[in-house]
Amino acid sequence: MRIRFGAPASLDELTAPSPDRLTVGDPRVVDFLARFARKLLVPAVARRHPELASLGFFLRPAELARAVTHMQRTDDALVFPRGNVFHIPPANVDTIFVYSWALSALAGNHNVVRISERSATAADTVLEALNATVADADPVIARTQRMVTYGRDDAVTGALSRWCDLRVIWGGDAAVETIRRQPLRPSARDLTFPDRTSWAALSVAGWQAAEPSARRAAVTGFSNDAYWFDQAACSSPRTVFLVGEPSAAEAVQREFLELLGDVVAERGWTVDAAMAVEKRVNAYGLAATGAATALHFPGNAVTGIQLADVGGMPRRWIGAGAFPFATVSSLADLVPVMTRQDQTFSHFGFPAEELRTFVRSLGGRGIDRVVPFGSALTFSSLWDGYDLPHEFTRLTSLQI
Amino acid sequence: MSVFTLPQAAKEASLVKELSDLVAHHRAACAPYRNILAAAGTPDTFDQVADLPWLPVRLFKNLELKSIPDDEVFKVLTSSGTTGEVSRIYLDKAAAATQTRQLGATVQTVLGPKRLPMLLVDTKSLLKDRRSFSARGAGVLGMATFGRDHVWALDADGKPDVEAIRGFLAAHGDAPFLIFGFTYLVWLHLYEVAREHGLDLGNGILIHSGGWKKLVDQAVDPDEFRRRLSADTGLRNVHNFYGMVEQIGTIFLEGPSGGSLYCPDFADVVVRDPETWAELPPGKPGLLEVVSTLPTSYPGHVLLTEDLGVVHGVDDGDWPGKRFSVLGRLPRAEARGCSDTYQKAA
Repeated sequence: MRIRFGAPASLDELTAPSPDRLTVGDPRVVDFLARFARKLLVPAVARRHPELASLGFFLRPAELARAVTHMQRTDDALVFPRGNVFHIPPANVDTIFVYSWALSALAGNHNVVRISERSATAADTVLEALNATVADADPVIARTQRMVTYGRDDAVTGALSRWCDLRVIWGGDAAVETIRRQPLRPSARDLTFPDRTSWAALSVAGWQAAEPSARRAAVTGFSNDAYWFDQAACSSPRTVFLVGEPSAAEAVQREFLELLGDVVAERGWTVDAAMAVEKRVNAYGLAATGAATALHFPGNAVTGIQLADVGGMPRRWIGAGAFPFATVSSLADLVPVMTRQDQTFSHFGFPAEELRTFVRSLGGRGIDRVVPFGSALTFSSLWDGYDLPHEFTRLTSLQI
Repeated sequence: MSVFTLPQAAKEASLVKELSDLVAHHRAACAPYRNILAAAGTPDTFDQVADLPWLPVRLFKNLELKSIPDDEVFKVLTSSGTTGEVSRIYLDKAAAATQTRQLGATVQTVLGPKRLPMLLVDTKSLLKDRRSFSARGAGVLGMATFGRDHVWALDADGKPDVEAIRGFLAAHGDAPFLIFGFTYLVWLHLYEVAREHGLDLGNGILIHSGGWKKLVDQAVDPDEFRRRLSADTGLRNVHNFYGMVEQIGTIFLEGPSGGSLYCPDFADVVVRDPETWAELPPGKPGLLEVVSTLPTSYPGHVLLTEDLGVVHGVDDGDWPGKRFSVLGRLPRAEARGCSDTYQKAA
C-alpha cells in the first residue's frame, strides 16, 4: 500500500483509533480545501485539465460555506461527522474521488480514499496539488485525510471495511458486488453508486421556437455532456428523445445532428478507428435485432441510430458519439420506460411545468437528476438520489 | 493446378457478380443481415467489390448470423478471442465440403497434388486441452489432412522433442515434406532447435500463421524470419498465411519469393481508410476487409477485420491479383467511464 497523500502510516496505524477530532465545517478543513481549489484554478492547470477547473469551482469558498450551511439543522438535532469514511472511486473518471472526499472532509470525517493504480494524469495533478497544499496546512489534515493506492488486495480492502463507518463505492455494479464481499461493522453501511444510464430529451416545439443561436448553444452544451468522457460517464446522455409532433420530429433530428457534427468538427473532436469500429459493431447489432431501423454514419465522430420504439433504447455503452433517437408525443410517454438504473435526464426546450409534471409522474422510480443541456456532467452534492452532505454526517437529537 | 490465376480485372468482374448474388442470397435467408442492410440503406446492386456492404467481423461474436435453417446446421465453428467472446460460424454440409476443398486447392498450389509427410510444430496434448482446442487445435487439425505420416515436433510439455524431429528427418528428410505450425512456435521451437543441432530442413515446405506480435518483441520480422530459416536450416520454401474462422476455407497465402500475401481466385482484400471508409490505393495502410465467395451458409462473404494492412501492388508479383501485408491489430476501443470494475482496476 502506497500513501499518495497524508501522513505516512502502516495499515495498522491507519485503522487504529485516532485522537484527532474534526467538526462539521471544521475551519482547518475549509481553509485547506479553499487553498487547494485555488491551485486547481491556476490557468496552466485548467488548460491542461478543464475538468479540474470545474472541481476548483465546486470547492471555492462560497460553495463550501453553502455546503456547510446545508449540513446544519434547524430542528432539535445536532449534526456531527459520521466518523471514518472509506472511499472507493472509479479508476477512470479522474476527479470523482475528489468530490466524494472533499464533501466528506468538509463534514469532519476521517477519510481514506483508494486511488486506482490506473488513475490518469488528472488524478496525478490533483495529488500534486493536495500535497503542495498540505505543507502549510494544519497537521491534523495529513493525520486524518489519506489517499492510498494498493493492488488487488482483499486484506487491505477488508481492514479498511472493518475500520469505516461509511463505505462509499463508486464504479458500477461489478465494483459494488465485489467490494460487498468484505463485511462492514454492524453499525456501518454502504453508499453505493451502481451502473447508471442517462438520457437527453429535446422538445420539438421548444426547438422550433428557439432562435438559431439558442439551438446552437443547446447543441454545444449537449456535445460537452456527450463527448467529454467518451459518452461513458454515468451522466453522459445516450439516447435522445424527441418529444412532440412526430411529423415535425424528423426535421428537428436532422438539424440537431447536423449542428452536432459542426460543433464536434469545430472542437476538433475525433474518434479513432477502434472506436469507429466499436460503434459500427454496436449499431449493426441494434439493427440486426430490429431494435434500430435506420443508421446514419455522416462521419466517424457522430453516429445516428433510429430506434424502432421508445422502449428499445440500449442501456449499455455503445461508443463515443453514438446517438440513438426515439420520438414520443409527450414526456408522459417516457414515464413507463424509465427505470431505477436511469440517472440524469438532460433537457432542452421544455416549459418548467412540463418538467415538474414529468418528475412527479416518475415518483422517484427512475431518474435522479433533471438538468438542462450542458449540465449533465456538473457534479452536485445531490447525486444519484443521495444528499451527500447528509450521508456524510450523523445526527444526535437533543430534547430538553 | 493453382487457385492463384486471375488478374485483378478478371477477378473483380467475377467477384462483384458472385458476391452481389451472395448479398441477395443472405438478404433473403438471414433476417438479422437483412435488417442491418435495410437500416444502413444498402442498395441492391453494386458496381465494384469495394461497394459491397461489409460486416464488422466481431458481429459474429455478438450475434447468431446464419443463412440456413437449424436442421441443416452440419458444423458450428467457434473461435475464442482474447476477451473470451466466441465467434460462432454455422456451416451446412455443402459449405463444409466447399471450405475443405478450397483450402486444399489453395495449399496444393505450393505443396503439389500429393500428400507429403508432415511435421507439426505443436504438441499432441493440444488436442486434449478443451480450452485451447477450438483455436489452435482446429487450425492444426484442419491442416493435418493435407499431410501424412504426421510427427509432433513438441512433447507433451510443449518443449521441442529433438528425437522426434530427428526421427522424422531421417525417414522423410531427403524428399519434399510439409512443416506446419504457428509462426512463433516455429521460430522458438523449430528454428532454434534446428540451428542448434544442425538439422537440415532443406526439403521442407513450411506453412505458418498466427501473427508476428510475439516475434516483434524479439526483433524478428517476416524478412528476418525467412532469411534466418534459409541461412541456418536450409528451409527456403516458406509460406505465411492469413485467415480467420469467420471466413473458413479462405486463406491468403504468401508467395514463393516472400514479403506479400496473395488472394485466391475466389477471394480478395480491400484496404479501407478508417476515417472515410473509402478504399485506399496500394501503398496506403488502412483497415483490412476480406471478401470470399465461400461463405454461403452464413453472411461472412464481406468482412471488415480489426487488422491493419496494406496492398503493395496489383498484378506485379509471384501470382496475379493484389499482394498485401497484415501490419498488426487495431487496439480495442475503451471508454473511460464511471462503470469500471474493481477486479480490473485492482
